[in-house]
Parts: sequence; structure tokens; C-alpha cells
Amino acid sequence: MKPKLAPISKACPEIQGPILEINSLRKVFHTNESSLTVLDGIDFSVNKGEMICILGRSGCGKSTLLKMLAGFLSPSSGEILLDGKPVADPGPDRCVVFQEDTLFPWLTVKENIAFGLKGRTRDKKAFDEEVERFLSLVGLSEFRNYLPREISGGMKQRVALARVLILKPEVLLMDEPFASLDAQTREEMQNFLLSLWENLSHTIIFVTHDVTEAVTLADRILVMSKDPGRIREEIRVDLPRPRKREKSDFLFFSRKLYEGLRE
Amino acid sequence: MIKDENTKLHNSVFQVLPWVIPTVFIILWTVVSETGLIPTYLLPHPVEIGKAGYTYIFLNPGDAPFAGRFLNDAGASLIRVCSGFAVAVILGIPLGIISGRLASVRKLMSSTINGLRSVPGISWLPLAMIWFGIGIKTTIFLVALAAFFPIYLNAAAGARQINPLLLQAGAMMGVNRLRGTFAILLPGAMPHIMTGLRLGLGISWAYLVLGELTGVPNGLGAVIMDARMLGRIDIIVVGIIIIAVMGRASDQLLNTSLRFCFKSARRMS
Repeated sequence: MKPKLAPISKACPEIQGPILEINSLRKVFHTNESSLTVLDGIDFSVNKGEMICILGRSGCGKSTLLKMLAGFLSPSSGEILLDGKPVADPGPDRCVVFQEDTLFPWLTVKENIAFGLKGRTRDKKAFDEEVERFLSLVGLSEFRNYLPREISGGMKQRVALARVLILKPEVLLMDEPFASLDAQTREEMQNFLLSLWENLSHTIIFVTHDVTEAVTLADRILVMSKDPGRIREEIRVDLPRPRKREKSDFLFFSRKLYEGLRE
Repeated sequence: MIKDENTKLHNSVFQVLPWVIPTVFIILWTVVSETGLIPTYLLPHPVEIGKAGYTYIFLNPGDAPFAGRFLNDAGASLIRVCSGFAVAVILGIPLGIISGRLASVRKLMSSTINGLRSVPGISWLPLAMIWFGIGIKTTIFLVALAAFFPIYLNAAAGARQINPLLLQAGAMMGVNRLRGTFAILLPGAMPHIMTGLRLGLGISWAYLVLGELTGVPNGLGAVIMDARMLGRIDIIVVGIIIIAVMGRASDQLLNTSLRFCFKSARRMS
């Protein structure tokens, strides 16, 4: 497969400007006796069409960070700006693909994908066409009438992707979405995500603890340290895609990240 | 649905299973009656019960005592059960869902509900008779009161145990509160709600008889009471069997109609 040309937004991010800005974000959890600073001094920005991976070991606050971006948690201080406007509540402009299965178990594959789109258009025909388009985009047209419990873990995550992509979010937030899949399926899903991203050029923030996954996917990797969670370093991965895991430059990045995580 | 080969064999066995206990029971009953192990003034012969049931259900009024009362009694009882149950559903499900989701409402309600719940229905009977007199209102009150608790408690449990990630997923897809309630909360709580409704309907039949024991002219409970006064033990047994059959049939009807009306009832239980 020949690598496709990067969309303009990726080639010159300084012209486009950041779509998401995070300024001195801090999150403190209070219990009865003590308080725990989970995140401190988080600063970064994300350009339109960029694929960012947030890499960190468990407990570093990376999921908390994603929940704040999604609007499920509010920051203790600092701000999150989407297109210059502060983020408060969850909304379809920042959709999440969760690690856990969060499909509605009483809806079929097709109904799950159509769920968020309901009530947004009066045009029945356009609605049906859109649902069909996303069903086939994730390759599940033949499974449209299956219930979530009847399909595999990889298929469930594809449904989870389709049901948010259909809403055309400004930013796609992914919280270790492939962590509970087996190694082969995980690799397939990573490639699948990359091909979707190359076609639709979404802005993606992908949280993971898996170094290989981060190097496979990211334009830029934010490495986090814990207690309190901070961004330790930022690594730009300027390898052409598709990236081969056995190649020396891939391994160079992996080794560098492993060292970064170990410290 | 995905089914394997074995379930086909199982299906035919499963069709027979519900009839096993009633059949064995009737055989044993016939044996003890034939051999005189239990005297017929305590438990009439099954054939006598069959005759009494036939008289009660199919003969014309006036042919014999209790003849032809069935339609009238069953109709009256059915109306009372349905009205009382409907009141319990209309109050129980919304209140249950709300208190399942809001800790403040749950705190507000829990002591009162759990206190009232432990009062036996029969102790409400004298008060209900003073308030509503003898007749349909008392019965409906008792049925509604008794059916409310299982419906409320199960709806609350269902709303409380729902996976919070499903609600978060809804919120991020831009679902507002109203749609979230009907498209996520209620379907998610459906298995519990169904359990509550079925328990509530079952208990409705129990309290129906209690409500009808107090001198109403018609109804399945009234027939049992009349039969006791007249020493017609066969009619008492007929009344019991009819209530059991109608209770079973109404449960089946409830289950089937819920499955027919709601995807979540069909696909999650």
C-alpha cells in the first residue's frame, strides 16, 4: 500500500492553528481526610487532523485527562478550549470510544450506529443512507441485525467507532479502545483506525499504555509520568506510514519511549 | 438469535415440563381419594371437583347453586385486579425510576417505603373498609397498595444498577434528559422492571381475594367465601384452581405483551 498524501491540515498545522488547547490543567480528587492531585500543569494543544497518543503507565491520570476532555469530569483549575470556546459538558463534538463495551445491549448493530443521529434530521432517506454508509465503512453491513452480545470484541469496537463517527465529531477521544482485544485483532483494529483516519482526517486523541500502539499510530506522543500526572516529554514520530514494527527506526522510537516510561 | 442443535431436543422436553407437577399432583390426589386415605369431607374427589367446576362455569344460573356465576365473578375480579394493578404501575414505575437515580429522593422515601412494606395487607383491611366502604374501591385500594411495593422496589433497583457508562455514552452523543430516560434508562432497567411487574401482578391476585372476602356480592373471592358459608368445599377448591389458572394466564399475557411492545424486554431477558 502506498502512503497517501497527508491532508493539508497536517502538512502545515501552523496555518490551521490548534483545534484544542489545554492550559495549565489540574485535577485534584478530595476524600474525607486527604486530597490527591491526579493531574498537574497539563499544557498542550492539538492541531486539526492530528493523531495524538497520550502514553503512560496505569495510574498516571491519562484516563482522567481524557474524561475531562470529554466533559465527564470538570477540571479543578485550568481550561480546555475547543475552537477557542471552553468545554463544559459532554457533547457530540467530542466523542469517546471507551475501553469497555458500552453499546446498548437492547439495540442491534444498525440501531446502535443510528442512535446518536436520531432526531437530527427529518429526512428519512438521508438518515437511512447515512446509517448504511457507516455500516459499510466499518464493514458490518452483514451483521446489521446482530445484537452486541452476538458479535466479537473487535466488531463491537468497530460499532462503537461508527456510532460516533456518524456524528462528525470535531475531536475523537479514544480511551484504550483496543486494550481488551487479542494481539492480532488489536493490530487489525490499529490498521483499520489508520485507514479510517486517512480517509476522514479526524482529529484523534488516543490514550494508551502500549508503546508499540503509540508508535504505530501517532503523529505526536505525549508521555506522562505519575504522582502527580504530568506530561514528561513530547515526541514527534516522523515515520512514514504504514509503519513496520521490525524496522530499526520504529524500534528506535519504541526504545526511547520505554526508557521514558521507566524513569 | 443463534441456536445450536441441542436446543431443538431440549425444546420438546421443555414444552412438557410445566405440566409434570400438576399431573403428578392430580394422580396422587385421585389415589388418596379412591383409597379413602383423606376423607372426602376434607378434600373431595377430583371428579366431584370437575363436576362442580362444570356447574359453576357452564350451566345456566338457577340450574343449581353457584351455576353459571363464573363469567360474572371472573369479570368483576378481573376489573378489580386490572384497576388496582394499573394504579400501582402508574405510581410505582416513575417513583421507582426517580428514586433509583436520585440519592436524595431515595433517602427521602426509603424509611417510609420499607416501613409500610412490612405492614401485612390484612391489617389495612379494616381501615380500608372504613374509608372506602365495602366493595370495589376497597379491593382496588388493597390491590394497588400491595402491588406497588415490588413494582417500585424493582424499578428503583433497575434504575440504580444501570451501567453509568451507557448514560455517559448517551450524554456524549448529545442525548438530552428526556430522550435519555426513555431511550437508555428505561430499556436498561427493563429486566428489573419486568420482574417487578410480574411479582406485582401475582400479589394483586392474592389481595384481590382478601378484598373480596368482605361481603361483596360477586368476584372469585366472594364465591370462595359464599362456598365456605354453605359448606361447599368443592366450590372452594374450584375457586382456588380458577384463581391459579387466571393468575398464571395473566402472568403469561403480561410477559408476552411486554415482549411485544418493548425491544429491551424482548432482547434482554
